[in-house]
Amino acid sequence: MVKKSIITLTVLLFTMVTFSMAFTSDGPAGNDRKGKYTYRKVYKTCSQEGAVESATPKLSPSDKTMAQWKIVFENKNFDEFGCKDNWVGLSDTDILDIYSYFYHHAKDSPSPATCK
Amino acid sequence: MKLRYVSRYGLAVITIMTFLCSFHFAFASTKDNTEEAMGRTLANQAVKNANRWSTTDHAKIDALNQDFTSGEEITQACLSCHSEAATQFHKTIHWTWLASGDKSDMRYGKAGYSVNNYCISGNAMEDKGCLSCHPSWNKKGVEGEVNCLKCHNSSGFNFDEALSDIKAFSEDSDPETEDIMKDLQQEVKQAVTKITLPTRKNCGDCHFTGGGGDGVKHGDLDTSLTKPNRMLDVHMGTDGKDFSCTRCHTTLDHNIAGRIYTNPAVETRKSLIEDDLAPKITCVSCHSSVPHKNDSKMNDHTDVVSCQACHIPTFARVNPTKMWWDWSKAGKLKDGKPYVENGPYGKPVYKSIKGEFKWEKNVIPEYFWFNGSLTSTTADDVIDPAQIVKVNHPVGDKNDPEARIFPFKIHRGKQPYDKINKKLLAPLLSGKDGYWTTFDMNDAIERGNKAIGIPYSGEFDYVETTSAFPITHMVTPKEMALDCTQCHIRENSKLAAITDLYLPGRDKSGLMDTIGWLSVIGALAGVLLHGLGRFFTRNGKEN
Repeated sequence: MVKKSIITLTVLLFTMVTFSMAFTSDGPAGNDRKGKYTYRKVYKTCSQEGAVESATPKLSPSDKTMAQWKIVFENKNFDEFGCKDNWVGLSDTDILDIYSYFYHHAKDSPSPATCK
Repeated sequence: MKLRYVSRYGLAVITIMTFLCSFHFAFASTKDNTEEAMGRTLANQAVKNANRWSTTDHAKIDALNQDFTSGEEITQACLSCHSEAATQFHKTIHWTWLASGDKSDMRYGKAGYSVNNYCISGNAMEDKGCLSCHPSWNKKGVEGEVNCLKCHNSSGFNFDEALSDIKAFSEDSDPETEDIMKDLQQEVKQAVTKITLPTRKNCGDCHFTGGGGDGVKHGDLDTSLTKPNRMLDVHMGTDGKDFSCTRCHTTLDHNIAGRIYTNPAVETRKSLIEDDLAPKITCVSCHSSVPHKNDSKMNDHTDVVSCQACHIPTFARVNPTKMWWDWSKAGKLKDGKPYVENGPYGKPVYKSIKGEFKWEKNVIPEYFWFNGSLTSTTADDVIDPAQIVKVNHPVGDKNDPEARIFPFKIHRGKQPYDKINKKLLAPLLSGKDGYWTTFDMNDAIERGNKAIGIPYSGEFDYVETTSAFPITHMVTPKEMALDCTQCHIRENSKLAAITDLYLPGRDKSGLMDTIGWLSVIGALAGVLLHGLGRFFTRNGKEN
């Protein structure tokens, strides 16, 4: 019984640590490159269904800071993205990938500045 | 008898009125003259075959119907038919960024010692941020393959991003990414066949955003010219002549007419009548040196005043342009982080990475004599920091037969200079070691000057500089051109800065004015007396 409890606790702890690491100050640990295309696919499908006029997503990572994207994704509040039905159908991994894309390319992300 | 006097005095009044009216007409414009100006007739003739045409549908070319995994593969596909294109292009300044054509002379060019007062230097292509505008793949500069699609693709597709993602996905073990990769390759394949002669957008992607953003550098070139109306530019207006850039910037072996570094854009002003193979780069090429109607006084101006001086009364008429850039203010942080402050027009007036800016719209140009050449102060030239340094400035004076009074944007600012060697400096800006990351200007200068091979003493300060850009786009319809009284006027003449010539109406000479007025009054009195004399003496005839 004790052994089972220890194993359960260890697994639980491991899961929590892994999950929290995904949201640490280094940012989410999803596949941001994959997230970019998953995000675009959401709008492509949404546009084909006639829910939005353009297949070009209306929000881009540079519209907010890393901290602002963190609030959006941690609260899972995707209202401002539109295409609500398509967001509901995404898996947790897909959302983590999209979050990684937005976080790592945010307005204040450390990606190199351009001459603008 | 009474009737006779009424008739006589009535005729006298009519004579005087007719005379005065004739006097008025002599000075009136001839706008209601229906004859077309010769310059317009010639220009319409020169461009009457405006449609661009091709004999090839690139969607049917086998070499382009493949799954590309890199930009270099696309270039090889292009070269499989256009075998000499890359060889030609490697010799152009668009590729070398050096006026001389190769590294044997580094003096002039973005990849050489040339500097400006915007992002200052390309650091011999070491600043990879600048290379987003170099027509090579993956910001490799002259070490890479020519990216033909920069100038010859109309899809607007981001090939660099897509090919980089294809490469990453191909190395990924995730089976889901394989589907994404296949979709992406299909998109690349579709986009790559959209081959075109260079469009306004192709050229504009770099030239409308010169200096680091929309309308920053030139003032007469910004994204408003991607789809302009004729009020913005009579030549490029989509509701007017709808010219592409290459309509005037004609090309020979991939060399594009119109650059100004060491040489003027054109050596002589030739019309197509004189030389039908002359580049169409000047107004004279199509409009001739007698562009106005035959009886127009304006035709007497063309040996002194450029067409642009009157026909581009203001620039930056849609989007604002940057007029001031102070690098000495760069580097301030808020809570330890760089920040941006926006001002009028929604444009940044402060950026930690760059300093302080001023923007303006509807800018009235400054006018100078200009023979087509500009001086250039490079990072290897000694300056006098006690003076405002002219990074570049128009060449010419009234005695130069090729010089005309020409409109310019003058961009002012402050930039770093070497306090010991008295030379302008070339800080490295982008990348992990650049100023935009480290905020260490001294270190950025050391790295940047090392890249171009010019020694740095280790001590720097900031000096005020100016940079001159000829204004030659955004040509207004003729109704909006300057009229005579905007220059020929005592106060606030547009040409107040051109002081080395006598400008009637603006300038005053007591002797000249006295002689002039005496002539006018004398002529008036003479004609009047003569007319009245003849009338009252009835030409010497008896009743």
